[in-house]
Amino acid sequence: MSTAVHLDEITKRFPGVVANDDVDLTVERGTVHALLGENGAGKTTLMNILYGLYEPTEGTVYVDGEPRDFDSPADAIEAGVGMIHQHFMLVDPMTVAENIVLGNEPRKWFGTTVDRERARQEVIDLSQRYGFDVNPDDTIEDVSVGVQQRVEILKALYRGAEILILDEPTAVLTPQEVEELFEVFEELTAQGKTIIFISHKLGEAMHAADDITVLRDGKNVGTVKADETSNEELAELMVGREVLLEPKSAHREPGKQVLSVENVHADDNRGIEAVSDVSFDIREGEVFGIAGVDGNGQSQLVETITGLREPTSGQITYKGRDITRASRRSRIEDGMAYIPEDRHERGLVMDFDLVQNGILGSQHSSKFSSGGSIDWSTARGHAERIISEYDVRPPHADADAESFSGGNQQKFIVGREFEREPDFVVATHPTRGVDIGAMEFIHERLLDLRQQGKAVLLISSKLDEVQGLSDRLGVMHDGELMDIVDPRNTTEEEIGLLMAGERPGWSDTEIDTANPSVGDAQ
Amino acid sequence: MSAGNGAKSVLRRLVNASTVERILISFAALFMAVVVGAVIVLISGRVATCQTAAATFFGLGFCYDPVEVYLVLFNGALGGPFLLDAPGLFNPNWNPLNFGLALTLKETTLLIFTGLSVAVAFRAGLFNIGTQGQLILGALATALFAFFVAPFLPAGILGGLILIPLAILVGALVGGLYGAIPGALKAYADANEVITTIMLNFIAAQVAFVLVSEFFRNPDSQVVETTPLPDWGTLLPVAFPKGGDFSLLALAFGLALVVAVWYLLEQTSFGYDLRTSGEQPEAAEYGGVDAKRTTVTSMFLSGALGGIGGAIWVLMVMGKWQAGVPSLGFDGITVTILAGNNPFGIVPAALLFGTLKSGSLAVQFGTGVPKQLVGVLRGLIILFVAMPEFFRMIGSSINLETDDDAVATDGGRSLLGGDDE
Repeated sequence: MSTAVHLDEITKRFPGVVANDDVDLTVERGTVHALLGENGAGKTTLMNILYGLYEPTEGTVYVDGEPRDFDSPADAIEAGVGMIHQHFMLVDPMTVAENIVLGNEPRKWFGTTVDRERARQEVIDLSQRYGFDVNPDDTIEDVSVGVQQRVEILKALYRGAEILILDEPTAVLTPQEVEELFEVFEELTAQGKTIIFISHKLGEAMHAADDITVLRDGKNVGTVKADETSNEELAELMVGREVLLEPKSAHREPGKQVLSVENVHADDNRGIEAVSDVSFDIREGEVFGIAGVDGNGQSQLVETITGLREPTSGQITYKGRDITRASRRSRIEDGMAYIPEDRHERGLVMDFDLVQNGILGSQHSSKFSSGGSIDWSTARGHAERIISEYDVRPPHADADAESFSGGNQQKFIVGREFEREPDFVVATHPTRGVDIGAMEFIHERLLDLRQQGKAVLLISSKLDEVQGLSDRLGVMHDGELMDIVDPRNTTEEEIGLLMAGERPGWSDTEIDTANPSVGDAQ
Repeated sequence: MSAGNGAKSVLRRLVNASTVERILISFAALFMAVVVGAVIVLISGRVATCQTAAATFFGLGFCYDPVEVYLVLFNGALGGPFLLDAPGLFNPNWNPLNFGLALTLKETTLLIFTGLSVAVAFRAGLFNIGTQGQLILGALATALFAFFVAPFLPAGILGGLILIPLAILVGALVGGLYGAIPGALKAYADANEVITTIMLNFIAAQVAFVLVSEFFRNPDSQVVETTPLPDWGTLLPVAFPKGGDFSLLALAFGLALVVAVWYLLEQTSFGYDLRTSGEQPEAAEYGGVDAKRTTVTSMFLSGALGGIGGAIWVLMVMGKWQAGVPSLGFDGITVTILAGNNPFGIVPAALLFGTLKSGSLAVQFGTGVPKQLVGVLRGLIILFVAMPEFFRMIGSSINLETDDDAVATDGGRSLLGGDDE
């Protein structure tokens, strides 16, 4: 076997961030190689370097044993490297065949006209060679996401790609389509192609790959053979062996129920079910954590609780009141604070200064407005207090949110939500992007809130964070709440397995979760 | 790549320009427009045939003198404060309350209302092209209301004091309701407001025409118009000459509305909702803003301001509704782009429009320059002054990150078109 790709000590720095730190990666020809890691581990950056989208700060890319210096994807394609992005780059109203040949069309009449017939025939030949089931005459907008993905793969093959990079190829697929994709992988490697795919799903990597490289915080923490490793080992590599943050406050008896989620189902933006029959409750003085690899329905679940997404069925009760269809505003007014997952889209208005951002969500509250007019001097004082208490730097209340670094934006959002004097806090990735000091501070504040008898729902993809802070921990996989465990008596490996969708003694416990009224509430 | 980055850095520079810089840019653009316009005047002056050359440069005769054209343009808009025969000298006979200035301010006043109308929608993230239609119906409602109610009111000042505010209110209400239609279509049926407002413009114009020609036509008139209102039922000129169709009261009302709209946008909870929706709809949703209601309300407000523009057009300019309503609503779009959607910026922007309108009339009558060429000069000035603001708007709505400053903690996806979900 020869080496198809070799990345030699690749480092990529962005201002303030080291996305890849001295990464070595070797991929053998004719194999499927999975690049595994949590979000932000630097997987996509590394592949963008291989594909010529970024230039490495240090290090060398070797393709077929030769050092390469790609200035653009065009160079990479020239060298036989093709990449299929998570977001397809297809022209919707055009046919499959047209999309595949686009930019490299066969021509006739001295190059003046596209030879459609030949294009069509070439596409048919190509898809037959790799056993792809696509109709060249379908228009892209009429075919399923799985077929669109195959068209993307064919596009790369048509351009002569020998090495295919797929960025999170399964993220947009249904389970059946995932199976089909993996069959395509087998067919391609059988014909000598090399595949690198990015994933944060452990089970997929185990299932489809020959070799697995795990990235964590931009570093290669290990390359293993899929048939020589175990889920436990991979989970450990992914999560790392960092020190657990011990709760500093004494455990206190939870009080009465604050939130109850019953048999909730919800769709994602594409209309695919993302949350399947989730039930749990949170009581006063309790931190309920949800662990899970990003993209397993946590976002959609949180949105149904905070009022940004309507569940397709099920019921959500807050402080004894049914709020399943209640407006977002009424939930805010009823003491629900929410640190959103996406601070750029939701948490802050980027073109507003911090004074204005400080009242987002409270713009109608009597604290900041009377008779419909906003009291900007109170709002300014409020923003300045958040800035000083939560150490937002630089301490400029008049600066636009956009001008702050991600960590400082996060601190400001956390401050705003905690200062709401909430009864219930929904915190999604509350420490994402903040430094260690701020992280500890935010953790302490969360535990303070618990101590004051508030209820906290904590969602994080950092296992040590949810495990260290939660009193009870739910693990989500593929939209389902796999299990609710006591984080203090459960090992990381056990949680990691649940995150990967594997229940210990699966077939025995499955009956426990069966619920006679699945999906027909409301 | 480098050309793209160069264009991006220019755009970013423009987006981040301070208010002072923006005003300077506007003046520089005005100057450039005058220079380019002067060249065009020279060329057409060379091509045209005339008996005596108006100007001679480099031994060549030109039919039109660009210096004179621009002097007449700006001087005429003010009603001639300077003597053009002896440049720089003040005209001792100049009366500030003249027709030229009245014409300038009349146009300014009307455009303040329509500019505000478009601006309010813009700030809510809605592109209301329908101010014209809202203005037409608001104008008609005002004219009809005033015509039918006037007989029940005492003639004279007292009658005017009751009638005019009510008539404006009716215009605002009808314009507002007409604006709320595309708002509701957008909110509840996801219909693009650009398309619906354009279509509703045609509907408004035709419905108004049919209503007036079939039911409310002035029997003594050859054109499609309503019966004129009594003098006491229209806005008095106050100090300005009577035929100038301009009332200081209307201008004062317009300026008051500028302040009111500013207050609404910047100082109220509703304005906060509106601006947040316009800036970042997802954040507005997160902040508990009811997107649907805000859309409908913003469009109602926008339409109401357009309707007021129509009411003022009837009460100040025409004294009746007449088919062929001038395109004040469309000009309002340019005015608010010029003003960067800032209510206070609308006043100078509208003033520029007013000046050009009035000044170009002066050029037409005062020099031999054909009116088409004057139109070109006007267009150039508007184009040049509006472009920086237009590019600012585009620049702030697109992602200007280059790969140098993209922080790739999310795996660098920002370059590849958004993140997942």
